[in-house]
Amino acid sequence: MNATGIPLKEPAIASAAGDMEQLERAYIDASTRVPVLMFYTSAIAWLLLGTVLAGVVSFKLHSPDLLGNISFLTWGRLRPVHMNVMVYGWASMAGMGTAVWLMARLCRTTLRFPLLLVAGAGFWNIGVLIGIGAILLGDSTGFQWLEFPRYVAVILFVAYTLMASWAVLMFRHRRGDQIYITQWYLLGAFLWFPWLYAAGQLMLFVVPVQGVLQAAVGWWYANNLLFLWFGAIALGTAYYMIPKVIGRPVYSYHLATIGFWTFALFSSWTGMTRLVDGPFPAWMITASISATILTMIPVATVGLNHHLTMKGYFPLLRYSPTLRFTVFGAMSYTIFSVIGVLISLRSVARYVNFTQASIAYSHLGLYAFFTMVIFGAMYYIVPRLVGREWRYASLIKLHFWASAYGIGLMTLMLLAGGFLQGADMQNPALPFSESIETVLPYLRGRSLAGILLTVANFIFAYHFGLMLLGLGRTSTVPTFLNPVDAEPSGGH
Amino acid sequence: MKGLAPLFLGIFGTFAFSWIGLTVIPNWQIGHLNPESDEEGTDIYPQPQSGMFERGAHVYAANGCVYCHSQQVRADYAANDIERGWGNRRSAPSDYLFERPVFLGKMRMGQDLANIGARAPAQQESPAPAGAASPVASPGASATSPAPATSPSSQPSPATAGGSPTTSPAQSSPAGSSSPNTSPPPGQRTGVASPSPGQMANATSGGNSPVAATAQTPGAPWPIQTEGLPPMYSAAWHHVHLYSPRSINLDSNMPSYRFLYEKRRISGERSADALQLSGSDVPPEGWEVVPSYDAKCLVAYLMALNQSHPLKGLRSTGGASAPGPSPAAASQGASPAPSPAAAKK
Repeated sequence: MNATGIPLKEPAIASAAGDMEQLERAYIDASTRVPVLMFYTSAIAWLLLGTVLAGVVSFKLHSPDLLGNISFLTWGRLRPVHMNVMVYGWASMAGMGTAVWLMARLCRTTLRFPLLLVAGAGFWNIGVLIGIGAILLGDSTGFQWLEFPRYVAVILFVAYTLMASWAVLMFRHRRGDQIYITQWYLLGAFLWFPWLYAAGQLMLFVVPVQGVLQAAVGWWYANNLLFLWFGAIALGTAYYMIPKVIGRPVYSYHLATIGFWTFALFSSWTGMTRLVDGPFPAWMITASISATILTMIPVATVGLNHHLTMKGYFPLLRYSPTLRFTVFGAMSYTIFSVIGVLISLRSVARYVNFTQASIAYSHLGLYAFFTMVIFGAMYYIVPRLVGREWRYASLIKLHFWASAYGIGLMTLMLLAGGFLQGADMQNPALPFSESIETVLPYLRGRSLAGILLTVANFIFAYHFGLMLLGLGRTSTVPTFLNPVDAEPSGGH
Repeated sequence: MKGLAPLFLGIFGTFAFSWIGLTVIPNWQIGHLNPESDEEGTDIYPQPQSGMFERGAHVYAANGCVYCHSQQVRADYAANDIERGWGNRRSAPSDYLFERPVFLGKMRMGQDLANIGARAPAQQESPAPAGAASPVASPGASATSPAPATSPSSQPSPATAGGSPTTSPAQSSPAGSSSPNTSPPPGQRTGVASPSPGQMANATSGGNSPVAATAQTPGAPWPIQTEGLPPMYSAAWHHVHLYSPRSINLDSNMPSYRFLYEKRRISGERSADALQLSGSDVPPEGWEVVPSYDAKCLVAYLMALNQSHPLKGLRSTGGASAPGPSPAAASQGASPAPSPAAAKK
């Protein structure tokens, strides 16, 4: 136990491990400083751009004449730019930065070959930049999350190869036999992504498959990117952060094993639920619906495992920013999956398939789940890279509540709007325009929720900027959300 | 977990399972379909598309139309797409053989476009929209307007003469499966060529859909024919709609695509393809608004979207279904009961 009486930071060190281990960790953290900060800084810059674009896109949807008459500001171009900035700029960069740091920590070796990572991050940024330029100029491919034209895919692939070869090298230099749960997920993500991306590019653009199969490949890609790339990174991160912050091992390795393999097996089969009742063989869609229902197994095991790990330590959510964001994200994973099952069932999907509900689903996965977990990880990692603690507890609190309310409100608006829109669309007595009229107020509500998220993201970026400039607090105690000494005892 | 080999094998194995199951096997099953034809080998459907169609598809992708418009008609047991007049049968894999990219779509903030070309007015004698509350009557109404809109220059259209719109899907695209001469009058056989969704719903209710039989005709067909504008879903109408959606439907939330059009001074005579605008969109005296080549391609693409051709094994409304069940896995594939997987056994 440290002086605060609460095992919020490196609890294992204070109680069990010796000074050597602490020193070793400090060395490892220092070695990751440049590459990880490069990833994080780029990611947060993309996040701000993506947030501003999200606002414009959201407002334009109910006020179509806003910024209307310029080709590259038309809604149909800004929307894919927003999605790609968030997916490839923010989420992928932030996820890879976190994965790099976790890999170094878990391989228990200082980061070697940092140039591979720096070059990889540089190329990735260039790729995303050219990609959004291409979309704005009208070179989009029209496939969701694969809008970047082929030449950009090549750049991204080169960048990715650099980073993946770094991961392989690092893994060879690891110390210790044990491969922790987090590493399973990260290895999975690092191996799945290139296969996924290459398969998507090849089957859609290089040797295109015939007709409707393009749509099948496109949705197979998009769903797997969500699950096997972002989902895997976020789950791996949560498996590291939750036990680390509360200073207690994961409740059950056995549950974690079941959770991982069922996750890999079932979530990779869910893509075709987006094509329900479409011009496809029915077995494809049925298989995906079954797989979606079966994802309840990994969701239940992972959720149970986290819950039992946290049991008795929930009061710590009052203090630790990392824990609060991570637990919010982990809980969102459950909600995201349950809603995924709900809207994939044929009887429901017929109503919501072509509505805003699917946008709610993507935002739950990418923001409420992935982004919140990554925020939590950043609150843990960044102080260890810059040697300063977060400056303002109030800003972290504001960030959390604005994000939590923002994404909650957005999801509710889109889900409710989507269901009503779908009900109107399925009612043959109503003209089609009625379904649009119905959903518009909810889209305005979504724009309001977006303002909250904008505030949250800009606060975080400001705070991160202070940390980068070395303006954080100099302290041995991490920044708690609430004063610790006000409470007599923290948890247990 | 001890040992790397099982971990790596598992990571590869699970993903390979998904990759093979959801992309490779479907590709083997429906990835090599051929166009259908009748016994004589004529009347082939679908047919390869024109260059304008391809470029139009690119414009469609570039401007993100796919984020609001789907291009798939669901079966009548699943949804009321057919009843809404979005098609006379469900979409099948064969409909998309030559489309690259395919825009099935995931959102309907706007109408389904799978048959938007088929819904264009075929001939002048097209009946007026049958919907009850249509305030302005027939496409012929626009013939009274002083400067009739004409089709894009791609079509050698005779429209300029009489001022009556004569654009038809088959004319606007070489891909059109049937020419107006060979196809029956709209509303009789397929019901697709009718100018308004309302009418199509009527045609459906006479068919074999139990839902349609009981359902009322939609109170107001949507969107409605606006006075002084080209007939709905004609090429000229699409241009006006793309240029100024709210001049046609005040509540539309479609963005305007003015950047695809050029406002220029009239030199000599007014261009044949100048837009027939109304209200505040009318350019000042001596000016005109003409579509760019991209806009013409986009409209050519839209006009060529037509899945009204019957397919074997798929029931079309209005009694146009092809005879008998077909062994072709392609066209049956989408219907749940005779799953092709089962059929193969």
